This record gives sequence, C-alpha cells and structure tokens, in this order.
Amino acid sequence: MSILVIAEHDNAALKAATLNTVTAAAQLGEDIAILVAGHNCGAVAEAAAQVAGVRKVLVADAPHYAHQLAENTAPLVVGLAGGYTHILAPATAAGKNLLPRVAALLDVAQITDVIQIDGADTFVRPIYAGNVLATVQSKDAVKAMTVRGTAFPAAAASGGSASIEAVAPAADAGVSSFVGQQLTQSDRPELTAARIIVSGGRGMGNGDNFKLLEDVADKLGAAVGASRAAVDAGFVPNDYQVGQTGKVVAPELYVAVGISGAIQHLAGMKDSKVIVAINKDEEAPIFQVADYGLVADLFAAVPELSKELDTLKAAG
Amino acid sequence: MKILVAVKRVVDYNVKVRAKADGTGVETANVKMSMNPFDEIAVEEAVRMQEAGKAQEIVAISLGVAACQDTIRTALAMGADRGILVETDAELQPLAVAKLLKAVVEKENPDLVILGKQAIDDDANQTGQMLAALLGWPQGTFASKVELGDGTVNVTREIDGGLETVALKLPALVTTDLRLNEPRFVKLPNIMKAKKKPLEVLKPADLGVDVAPRLVTLKVQEPPKRQAGIKVGSVAELVDKLRNEAHVI
Amino acid sequence: MTAYFAPIRDMQFVINELADLSEVAALPAFAEQEVGPELVEAVLEEAAKLATEVLAPLNKPGDVQGARIGPDGVVPAAGFGEAYRSFIDGGWNGIGSPVEHGGQGLPELFNTATQEMWNSANMSFALCPMLNAGAIEAISRAGSAEQRALYLPNMVSGEWTGTMNLTEPQAGSDLSAVRTRAVPHGDHYRIFGQKIFITWGEHDMTGNTIHLVLARTPDAPEGVKGISLFLVPKFLVNPDGSLGVRNDVHAVSIEHKLGIHASPTCVMAFGDKDGAVGYLVGEENKGLAYMFIMMNEARFKVGLQGLAIAERAYQAAREYAKDRVQGRPTGAKSGDRVAIIHHPDVRRMLMTMKAQNEAMRALAYVVAMHMDLARHHPDPAIRQTHQARVDLLIPVVKGWCTETGIEIASLGLQVHGGMGYVEESGACQHLRDARITTIYEGTTGIQAADLAGRKLNMDQGAAMRALIAEIEATAETLDPIPGDDMAVIRDGLRDGVRALSKATEWMLAGGDPGEAMAVSVDYLMLTGTVCGGWQMARAARAAQNKLMTGEDSVFHEAKLVTTRFYVEHLLPKADALLRSIRNGGISIMALTEEQF
Repeated sequence: MSILVIAEHDNAALKAATLNTVTAAAQLGEDIAILVAGHNCGAVAEAAAQVAGVRKVLVADAPHYAHQLAENTAPLVVGLAGGYTHILAPATAAGKNLLPRVAALLDVAQITDVIQIDGADTFVRPIYAGNVLATVQSKDAVKAMTVRGTAFPAAAASGGSASIEAVAPAADAGVSSFVGQQLTQSDRPELTAARIIVSGGRGMGNGDNFKLLEDVADKLGAAVGASRAAVDAGFVPNDYQVGQTGKVVAPELYVAVGISGAIQHLAGMKDSKVIVAINKDEEAPIFQVADYGLVADLFAAVPELSKELDTLKAAG
Repeated sequence: MKILVAVKRVVDYNVKVRAKADGTGVETANVKMSMNPFDEIAVEEAVRMQEAGKAQEIVAISLGVAACQDTIRTALAMGADRGILVETDAELQPLAVAKLLKAVVEKENPDLVILGKQAIDDDANQTGQMLAALLGWPQGTFASKVELGDGTVNVTREIDGGLETVALKLPALVTTDLRLNEPRFVKLPNIMKAKKKPLEVLKPADLGVDVAPRLVTLKVQEPPKRQAGIKVGSVAELVDKLRNEAHVI
Repeated sequence: MTAYFAPIRDMQFVINELADLSEVAALPAFAEQEVGPELVEAVLEEAAKLATEVLAPLNKPGDVQGARIGPDGVVPAAGFGEAYRSFIDGGWNGIGSPVEHGGQGLPELFNTATQEMWNSANMSFALCPMLNAGAIEAISRAGSAEQRALYLPNMVSGEWTGTMNLTEPQAGSDLSAVRTRAVPHGDHYRIFGQKIFITWGEHDMTGNTIHLVLARTPDAPEGVKGISLFLVPKFLVNPDGSLGVRNDVHAVSIEHKLGIHASPTCVMAFGDKDGAVGYLVGEENKGLAYMFIMMNEARFKVGLQGLAIAERAYQAAREYAKDRVQGRPTGAKSGDRVAIIHHPDVRRMLMTMKAQNEAMRALAYVVAMHMDLARHHPDPAIRQTHQARVDLLIPVVKGWCTETGIEIASLGLQVHGGMGYVEESGACQHLRDARITTIYEGTTGIQAADLAGRKLNMDQGAAMRALIAEIEATAETLDPIPGDDMAVIRDGLRDGVRALSKATEWMLAGGDPGEAMAVSVDYLMLTGTVCGGWQMARAARAAQNKLMTGEDSVFHEAKLVTTRFYVEHLLPKADALLRSIRNGGISIMALTEEQF
C-alpha cells in the first residue's frame, strides 16, 4: 500500500481536514505521502512534514498552482499517481472539485465521502443524504477517494519528520484562471446551515442570559436557536425558533440548554446527529432524545462549558 | 450558443428511503421519482440564459431506464428545446455516465454543459468533473453565479469558507449549487407543449461506450439507530465525549 | 403544522382505474390535448409542487393573520398576492376552460384533481379561483358574445377574478327575497343594494373583479321569477379591453368568522353614490337559472373541499401518530414505549379517515368523469344519461363529502389528543375551515331537499334506480373473484345497495312530503355512504387485478384492506340510516314550537 494524500491548504497554512485524511490513510498503510500543490507554499510543506505518520511530502510550487485550479492540479496528480495504490483527498469543496477529475483521467472510479475503511479496497460511504450507508468495493488499480473529516480523528500535527521533495510542475492548462474570492465574515452561521446549534429555552430566564449561549456558540462556530417558549417569552426574535412551527434543523451537534423538550420542539431538531441536553430537571423529556444529558444548573454549566472550550482551543 | 443540460431521475427528495432487507440496495419499487433537484437548477440556469438571449438551443439529456423520458419531459416543460435519452437498464456509475455524456457532447458540440453538482441518490458529486476531464474542458463546480462573457464564462463557486470566482474559456462545464437560482414552477401550458418537443433515444452501444461498473456495492444498510443516551456527570466529561467519542467538536 | 403532499398515487389510481380516463381521453374534444396517463402524471406532479411549496406554507400564516379591510379596500394575508401570481402565471386557472378563451381545455377530471390539491393546501386561497370559475361558467353559458369576448380571456387567465353576489341579509337560502334593484339606464343598468357573504368580493391581487349580481328590475314579478343576473365590474372595461373608471361597488366590511380567515367574506355595497353600472347577463328574470349554472359548479367544488380538508387532516394525523411516542403496546407491561399509531383506537381513527377519503375521492372524480362525458360526448342521448347522473350526484357529493369532511377533520384533531386542541398543532384550523363547507352554496339541508325532493321526483326516481342497478351489477362482478376480502366486500355492498333501494322506494312512495323532507338528510347520507362503498368495491376489484400481475403490491394490498374496512365499519351505517328513514318524520315534527 502506498498512499498519496492531497493537502488542503491556502499556501500559508495546512488545513485541519488534511489531518483527518492522514488518519484515514494510516488505516490503509504506512507509506503515506502528502502532495502540496501551490505557490510559495513552503510553510505548508514544512507543516505537512511535521504531521505524524507521514513519510514524504511532495511539493509542486508554481504560479499556476496558486489557486489550485483543478484543470492544472489534476494532471499533476495524474503524473504522480503511478506510484500509489490510493489517492486520498479531504471531502471538502477543494477535494471534491479535484479528485473526480483525477479519477477520470486515470480511468478509475472515485469514491466520495468515505466514512469507514473496511480493507484496502472496501469502503463505507453515506448515500441518500446519510439515510443509508453503502459498502463498496473498488475493482480499480488505483483507489481515488475523498474522506469525510468528521469520521476520522485528526492525526497529530507534530511529531512527524517526513522528507520534503520538490516535484516538477506540469504545464499550465491555460483554460481557466482565478478571478477573486470573498471569504465569509466570522458572523454566526444561519440556523438551517449550521453544523452546530446551541439553543436556549424558557430556562434561560431572560433575553440577556442568551449572551451565555452566544459566547459558547461563537467558540464552536455555532448558530443560536431557541424553543418556542423562549421566543414567546420575548427572550429572542422569532427567527431563532427551532421547532415544528419554526425552523427544522439537523446539525451535527445540537445543544439544548434549559429546554424541556416539548413535542413541537423535538419535531424541529430530532434529526440532529448528536443531541446534548443541559437541564436541571432530570425528568425533562429532552433527555429521552439526548445522546448526552447533563443534569445541572445551566447558569453554572454554560460558563464552565465556555471555559472548557477555551482550554480545548489552547491545547489545539 | 448551445447548452447541454444533463438531468437525472432520482428518488424524490421527500421520500424517506429505506435499505432493502437483504442489503442489496434501497427500496425504489413504486417510490416517487423526480428530477434531481440540482439538475433542476441546471435546467433553470440554461433557460434563463436562453431567455436573456445568450443561448439559442438547450438540449436536455438523461441516461438510464425508459422512464427517464419523464424527467426529460420535465426539462422540456421548463424550457429545454429537445431531449436525448441514452436508454439502458444497466447500473450507471459516474465514470460511465461521464463517458456517455462525452460521446453525446462530441455529437452535439455544445458550448456549455451544465449539470447538478451531485445527485441526491448516490451523492457522488463526480460526473461533472469527470466529464470535464474527459473532454479536457475547464470546470466551474458548485456554481452560485454564472456570467457568460465573450468566449468565456465567469463562475462564482461555493467553496469552504466563502466564494471564489474563476474565469473559464468556452467550451466549459458548470455544476450547480443550491444558491445558483430557484427553479421555476412548470407552467401548465408548457407541460402540454413539452409533449410535442422532439426526444431522441440512443443506446450506450450506439455511442461505443463500455458502461461496466467499477465499484461493486457489497451491502447497503441503514445507519445504526440513535443509541440510548447517557447522562454525563460533569461539563468536562461532556466536552470529552463530544470531542473524543462523537467527534463533533 | 405538517407539510401537505398531494396524494398523487391515489389520484392516479382513481383517474386511471375508476374514472375511466380512457373513455374521457377518447372524446374528440380532448384529441388535441393528447390526454392519457402520462399527462395525468405530469400535470398532477407539477400542480403538487405548487400546492406543496407555494400554497400550503401560507395556510397557517393566512389563518393567523387573516384578510383585513383598510381604507383602500381589502388587503389579503401576506404572501397571498404573490402566490396568486404564481398560480395564474402557471396557467392553472384556465386548466378546464376552453382553448378559445385562453384555457387549456383539459377534462374536468384534471380540474377536479388540481382543485382538490389547491383546497387541501390552502382552502382560503382556493376559494378565489373557485368563485371565479363559477362566474366564468355563467358568462360562457349565458353571456352575450360581446360579454364573452370582453371579460372571459382575462377571467380565464386569472388576471381578473369573478364573484357570485347572491345573498342579502333577508335572502339567504331563500333567494326569492332578493331586494337589490337594477334600474335601466341607457344601454346598461344601475344597481343599488347590499350583498353579504361575498367570498373574495374585494381584494388587490388582480387588476379587476367581475361581480355577478342577482337583482330585480323595476317591473319584475315577485319571487324567484323576477330575478335577473347582472355583470358588475369593479372597474368598467372599455370596448378595447382597457380599464375605465372605478364602479360604484365597494366592500364595506368583512366578516370575522370561525375559519377560512384568509378568505375575505365581504359585505358589498352597490350604488352608494349614483348606482353601480351593471350589464344584463342573458335575459331579464332568468337570473336564478343562470345562477344555478354557477351554483352547480360551486356545489361540486365545495364537495371537493370536504374531501380536500379531510385529506389534509388525515395527513397531519398520520404523521403525528407515527411520531408521537406514548404508552406501550396493548398487553405489554414493560418494554419500549411506542408511537401511538400502534394503539388500536388510533388505528381505527386513521383507518376511518383513510377509507372515507379514498371513497370520497373516488366518488367525486367519477362524477367529474360524468361531467366530461355529459358535456362532450358526441351522442346527445349519452350526454343526457351522464348529465342525469351528474344532476343526481352533485347534492350527494356536496352534502356527503362536506359532512364527512367535518367528521374527518374532527377525528384528525382527536388523534392529536390534547395537542390537537392547541392551535399550534394545526389540527384546529382544519376543523374550523371545514365547518363552513356544509353551509355555503346551499346547506346540507338544502342539498338533501334537492336530492330527495327535486332530483328524485323530477324523473320519478329513474336516475336513482339506474344508479342502484349499476351498483347491484358491480356487486355481481365481484362474485367470481376469489379471496376472503372480495367475498366480504361483495356481501357488504349487496346489503348497502339493498338499503339504498328500500330507502329510495320509501322516499318515492308519495307519503307526506314534509315527512320525506324530515329524513332527507338521512337519505342523502345513505346515498353517499353506499356510493362510497360502491366506488371502494370497484377500487378493490381493480386493485385485485393489479395484484394478480404483481404491480405495486404495497398500494394495491392497502386498497383492498381499506375497502374491507369501509365495508365492515362504515357501510353498515346504511342499515341504520334506512331504519331512521323508515321511522319517518313523525317524532321529528311532533312537538309544538313552544315545547322547544
């Protein structure tokens, strides 16, 4: 097994998704190389060399890789592919843009959003929006796959000592060019689009106390929601409402704080992947749907949660 | 300018799919089928270009069983001018679809191909990129804005953390993201007109493409049901579980 | 509130298997449209999108906000104007109207299915095009060539809406008491008077509103023979079709009512200044006959509203019952709690709702098929036979489907338990909205009087006996089909039609007419219950045939079981109704007024 991992980066820093992909790669074999294609991306290559478990970093540094246009990077990867049994990229916008193009040029299938590796050629991936999981086996010589970061823990960003090797850039395909980009401000995400939601109920007591939740939400990159009871009590505006008559959400993590769990509220969030409930009433129905329940006074627990998140962040 | 739009017939997005008991696939018998929502966006974009006088002809193509004709008719009712069905009962994986589409593109010579970024059944998100690769065309994937210029197209793409705009030389390929447009409701008179628009039926063999699947689906199953929840004793334990057990923070 | 999804599968089944699409499709009138199962599917699917995505989401907000009246007239609930624009831009308003006026010329069968969807999605909204359709029908049939050319294209496209102005404070079910005056004035009339309960009488969603108004000319005879029909536009229309001055007709208030809050029910004042300009439709003093053109159209569609609300209520109850976890299975003392759909009484309610809805849908759509054949069959004798069936069954569709609709909406609330009584669940709205359907366009009592008085007697029961014979014949066709279900269905249908036959003979026996009227609603409900059973039996037969070919077993098996449920648990009501009818009206009428 020899595995090529395509690094996700912005020429300055190695993106975390790469680390999850390395973990997936390590489940396939030990011979792991990372390709850093970019321009003036030496710092990224240095960082990639530190990642635990990586043996080799390949760097293709050229102006036409600056924005990693698939038209240019795909032929580069194809040129390197000969030496590898697996090519892995994070299942991000960048990875999904590039890897099918590589696979087609190699005349192999591509496997998207791998969440579990059952063997060198057998992988599990969600289909139908995650309602069903398919186990697929590849018959191709090279397995090209994108890896869902949330399914694999991040590899350690340090401790490795890979060699760094420059590779010759392929030619500029000359059919596409970068015009510009607009990166989102760090405002809180929309409720329906958020990966994490922190919601408050009547237990919040008043609107001011929602600041406690906002603080935690900002640390998690989360949206803030509310139960109907909290909206009706005037704590927060209508558009915060999660529930049957409000917004129906299914984030990866839903943290319900001071929410008892009325049927109408559950209808709006029960499809969340992971549900956390913090409530001082241990009989609250919300605990019946929560994966993790914490029976506690929210006015103590939420600030503590905020501190724990700081510690976590500091630890990287 | 001529636009080719690929449309896929998929299980309707409102249907809650279930894995078959024997794990060989999902229940699709007698399930409501519709056009892939991302492909509807693709058709809408093409029709808007035509309405703006920037495109002359829109060809809608679908690949699969005979019933895909219904999906093509929907595209025709939305405004496409004619349809092509590559008819086969065989399982088509993205690489095979891309090869078939390449063959059709070489016959039709469109200036622009638009497809959905992914189909909501296999969620592969590959066909557009693969087709662009096989044609050697530039690709504007996950488009949230498409602006036609003179011999070029500017595509604003949804990337992680924001938007990116790329300029592509025509002919080019675009895959649509959700925010590109809001597809129109089909008008009743146009349903009637669509019945009279031409629809050509081809076979994979006519196009000389080998569509044999490269991936074997060993098993299809529903994800494990929500585990009975646990109570944690402290905030620290909660954070630890979320990070190291659930991997969500 | 749960989302609405059009029951396309059942609609297709009814249209293709029970309402005999092929016979309608073969009519020369529909040759150009290439009517067939594919067109049914395409039309239903696209209509369903509009219903689900545009109209249904406005149902609850419309209920909460309601239509309001301001200084400039009636302001519909938020979003209704935009939704109406989507509706008419889609060409849906003209689905059944003739191509010559810009319609799509599709069969009534198509119109009926889409009407069901609009009403399920948002009954308040659907009332606006529904009243317009009645006005279009009246102008098409009774208006002059000039009136047709000037008004119909914009009404068919939906750019203008139409209304029906019948009721006055003293003239409700009794239209002979109409007092609104029409004074000749050159080539037109000036209308003076007040009309009440005018649905969508005023709004700003379209550029013009065309009121059809019942009024008396100065020399008109007393009673119903002195009523004429007038066309009164909100804005006068110039000969070139452009809009002229604002006419002297205004909404002066809107009613605060139990349901359909987003449908403005207006008090209309005609001639507050110098008289509203009105144009005679057809001939003087024949207004009531013309009004019945609209009325029949509208009565059928109100019957569909009963079905439509029942369907929506069923969907909400079904989803809730699958979701709501409460209690353990009967007999289990421990173990997991289950969704309430596992409890037998909840099942009984859901089965009742499902079976009633499928029966109502089948009957209504079959009547729509008869309308198509009555209008378009090349053979006048065949047209007449179908028209007789339509005339007979319109009061049944109206009366039975709306009374049943209320029952179903109430059951829907019951399934929700305490939450159902809370507005947030949405179940309340369906019950409140449904409640008007047995009242407007002729109460159930009026429908029953029409059936048991007028319709039964005008041909001495010939049309009803023909219907009974057909039901009996259906029962016989079930005989050779094997299976326990079929035997139960056949026997149940035989019992039901026997009850209908006996009741009919009792009604026709010529006793005291007052006594027959006293039990006429029982007779109407009996007719509806048996006709529903008849259609379900036909459905079971079709489903059985499909099962033998292995097609869609999930749907067809359910159809068979649902029919059996109908026959075992709903059709037996026919016997009770027969007993009630035979007991006559003596005890109903015996008390003196003072004893109440």
